[in-house]
Amino acid sequence: MTQIWPSPGGALPAAPDEPRAPVSLEVNGLRVAGEVPVRLSAADFLRHDLGLTGTHVGCEQGVCGMCTVIVDGKAIKSCLMLAVQLDGRSVRTVESLAGGESLSPLQAAFKEEHALQCGYCTPAFLMTATALETCPRRLSREEIREEIAGVMCRCTGYEGIVAAVERRLRERGVGVDD
Amino acid sequence: MTDVTTRAEQRLSSRDGAIGRRDRRKEDDRLLQGAGRYVGDVGPSRVLEMAVGRCPFPHARIKSIDVRPALEVPGVFQVLTGDEVRARSGPIGLLRPDFDAPPLPSYGLADGKATYEGQGVVSVVATTRHIAEDAVQLVDIDYEVLPHVTDLELALDADAPVIHPEVMSSNLLSIKEFGRGDVEARLREAHASVEARYVINRVSALPMEPRAVLAEWQPGARELTVHASTQVPHLVRRQLADVLGLPESLVRVVARDVGGGFGLKLGVYPEDVLVSLHAISLRRPVRFLEDRNEHFRASTHARQAAHDYRMGVDASGRILAMEDVYTNDLGAANSAFGSSQQSTIVFSGPYRVTDGRVERRVAVTNKTPAGAYRGFGQPEVNFACERTVDRVARRLGMDPVDFRLRNMLRPDELPWTNPVGSYYDSGDYPSSLRMASSAVDYDGHKSRPRRQPDGRYRGIGFSAYVERTGVGAPKADEESGALFGAHESVTLRANWAGGLDLYSGVSSFGQGSETVFAQMCSQLTGVPYEDVVVHAGDTNAAPTNTGGFASRTVIAAAGAIERGAQEFTDRVRRLGSNALRTDADAVELVDGAVRVIDEPDRSISLRSIFRMAILGERLPPGESPGLEVTSYFSPSHAAYAFGTAAAVVNVDAETGEFEVERIVMVHDSGVAINPMLVEGQVVGGIVQALGAAVGEELVYDEETGQLLNGTMMDYFAPLAPDIPRIQVISTEVPSPVTPLGVRGAGESGTIPVAAALANAICNALDEFAVELDRLPITPEQVWRAVQAARAL
Repeated sequence: MTQIWPSPGGALPAAPDEPRAPVSLEVNGLRVAGEVPVRLSAADFLRHDLGLTGTHVGCEQGVCGMCTVIVDGKAIKSCLMLAVQLDGRSVRTVESLAGGESLSPLQAAFKEEHALQCGYCTPAFLMTATALETCPRRLSREEIREEIAGVMCRCTGYEGIVAAVERRLRERGVGVDD
Repeated sequence: MTDVTTRAEQRLSSRDGAIGRRDRRKEDDRLLQGAGRYVGDVGPSRVLEMAVGRCPFPHARIKSIDVRPALEVPGVFQVLTGDEVRARSGPIGLLRPDFDAPPLPSYGLADGKATYEGQGVVSVVATTRHIAEDAVQLVDIDYEVLPHVTDLELALDADAPVIHPEVMSSNLLSIKEFGRGDVEARLREAHASVEARYVINRVSALPMEPRAVLAEWQPGARELTVHASTQVPHLVRRQLADVLGLPESLVRVVARDVGGGFGLKLGVYPEDVLVSLHAISLRRPVRFLEDRNEHFRASTHARQAAHDYRMGVDASGRILAMEDVYTNDLGAANSAFGSSQQSTIVFSGPYRVTDGRVERRVAVTNKTPAGAYRGFGQPEVNFACERTVDRVARRLGMDPVDFRLRNMLRPDELPWTNPVGSYYDSGDYPSSLRMASSAVDYDGHKSRPRRQPDGRYRGIGFSAYVERTGVGAPKADEESGALFGAHESVTLRANWAGGLDLYSGVSSFGQGSETVFAQMCSQLTGVPYEDVVVHAGDTNAAPTNTGGFASRTVIAAAGAIERGAQEFTDRVRRLGSNALRTDADAVELVDGAVRVIDEPDRSISLRSIFRMAILGERLPPGESPGLEVTSYFSPSHAAYAFGTAAAVVNVDAETGEFEVERIVMVHDSGVAINPMLVEGQVVGGIVQALGAAVGEELVYDEETGQLLNGTMMDYFAPLAPDIPRIQVISTEVPSPVTPLGVRGAGESGTIPVAAALANAICNALDEFAVELDRLPITPEQVWRAVQAARAL
């Protein structure tokens, strides 16, 4: 199935003379294809054109990490990528994690460890941690902190987030060295 | 790596019901799925985007604006300038005016003159944010640059440019004195005294979601719906109606999910007025999503102040008098909450001092307006007070812990009223200090050399605090000066399915109020926790309230829920006992049912009772149909939370570099409704305070008046690897002045951290007799302090 945007309730058309380019990609297992303004960021494309508003925007300069998604298996900051650069790639966003109303094990770990307060940074930490789940080796606690340093949180002080990621990595057998 | 010891948990686990349980949050399921509805996620069709053109100068007269080039851009709908905004809307009012201060001009856009870099001068609405921003660049604005002053001390010089000459003759906006006794006489008698100036850095609360607002106007109905990222929907509604000249009934404010607030999202901002004006005249929904660079310049700053603190003691180490003369740097204009007035309230900390005086001054400078930020004056004054305490102890040759213990109020001396009238309700301040001291093995530390095998110096520092949480209702004969009350309110409504809907004006910005309100409501009504659903932050649904700030929500809401639940359960008992053909006092409410006490087999479910009420069937004589209660509560007093932070550091005296090894915080928030959430609040506060203590500072260049580091690239808030080991130890002294014995918990963590760190570094460098007196504490500052001390 190929989804064509703009989706219902999606973005308004850009200026008529704005340069555009075609893109075709996979998002959360669905093929999508269409045209985007060449200056549109990947984050804005996901949010406004595809309606995937779980990916948030916080600084638009690649520091705060709110817009972190997974592209071809790697956690990246989607405000630093253009939508046209997603052509031919596979993207995963937070919307892919839960099955219906039931939380994924990673999401459940975040809930259990009180790893979120306002929730604005949460999708970004979830996607960072999802990419970590396939890490081929054991990580120390210090390494986990380094791995999640691309996303800022102002509510939790990170303690719950580190605990949740540790819990999930242990479950996955990726494990954590004490 | 947080170790948490919670006595409250042990005590409360034996209690039946939801209060005191570590329930997982009701908010989490939607937020974890990326399904939170922040303003940027609310998308009515036909929504237009607004961008704001901002003054690049700290102080400039706007000579002319030519908007025509912007209007020619395809996709642009409308451009507004200051004149037009002035013609269509009134001044933005204050919620918390400073004492005796003249009103400063504040409109949706600069009115003829801009007084800080980043002030809005023109607003453009277009189909996309890209187009709106492009068009902003094309607006031709001719500025006449005026002399500016951004430095707090220079602003009060006699020859400084006066920023608001139309209403002020200098840049001193407000001055007020508080106190009791004769401070000068006590200081003359003193065996020793210390006087020092403490300089507090200007910082940003920096919520991860910048400000956001979307206004939708319904022609004909003349109704304005405003989705706002705010902590105070009802206050925004009132303020906005006032600024726009609309009947308040026609303004609805909705704050569903808010991506962090910390005090920054209190009250109306200029952009809220602008999107409303555009939406009304365009008859289209208009949205403003602040970008981060704007956030640093157009959202309130906080904390910057200079405190001149004096303390005198007798030969035995007893404090005779304390004085704090402080000046807050408001920036160029008022924000809704203005400068931090709370420094006054807790200036004397947890100490027994009879003679004390505070002079609070507020100055204006050509900088972004300052407003509330978590702690709101209390972290600032704690730094001044607790640094002075360590200085005095050093002067006396006393151990700083012993000096504190000698002067701390004991539990049997409370309640106690401090020199500025703050009523400390109850607590055990000395125990909290002893627990912190023992947690970091202070006695062991004292017996060992400061210098470690690696050449660094190890230090331990403490800071004790009391914190005003909540706001007491004004007494019958007084006015608080604030344009909001002290109350919270809830509506409890039974529904057909047997559930209970709880409506509250407190929006969800991370504090977990949906969860704790449901816990309190469940325990007090007998409706299972899962069946209580909290509907938050919509002024069309919630009774009028005050909002989420000042660590006040749970204190006030607990009273409202307690009252509402009482009335609700009284009615449930009357309806249930009538259906069971017995007396109301012969039944009890357990396990989702009303049953006869002596005959447990005779019962009726809550769902059946709710349905009877909704249908108006089988009601006792005189009972009205429906089952719904709205209740209000104003606490009589604020509750004073308290505690002690201890910091352990390792310092390199040659370079000034220091490592924060550990922070321990003993805190008391009274009865914890949900200890997990209380700990989360405290840890989060500690980390914010750590950032402000050692890294964050908004720096202005005095020569150009420009903010030098207004991007995420240059402003260093803490990331996960920056966090030291944090240990939170909770004590639980129930407050006698609040419902359920609760105290506020949202801000405590921010208060004692900076002073504890500074005291730890000074303790490490004891042999150099280093004193630190400004924030943030940087390696450079430590190095300079060592050099200065060596030069003596």
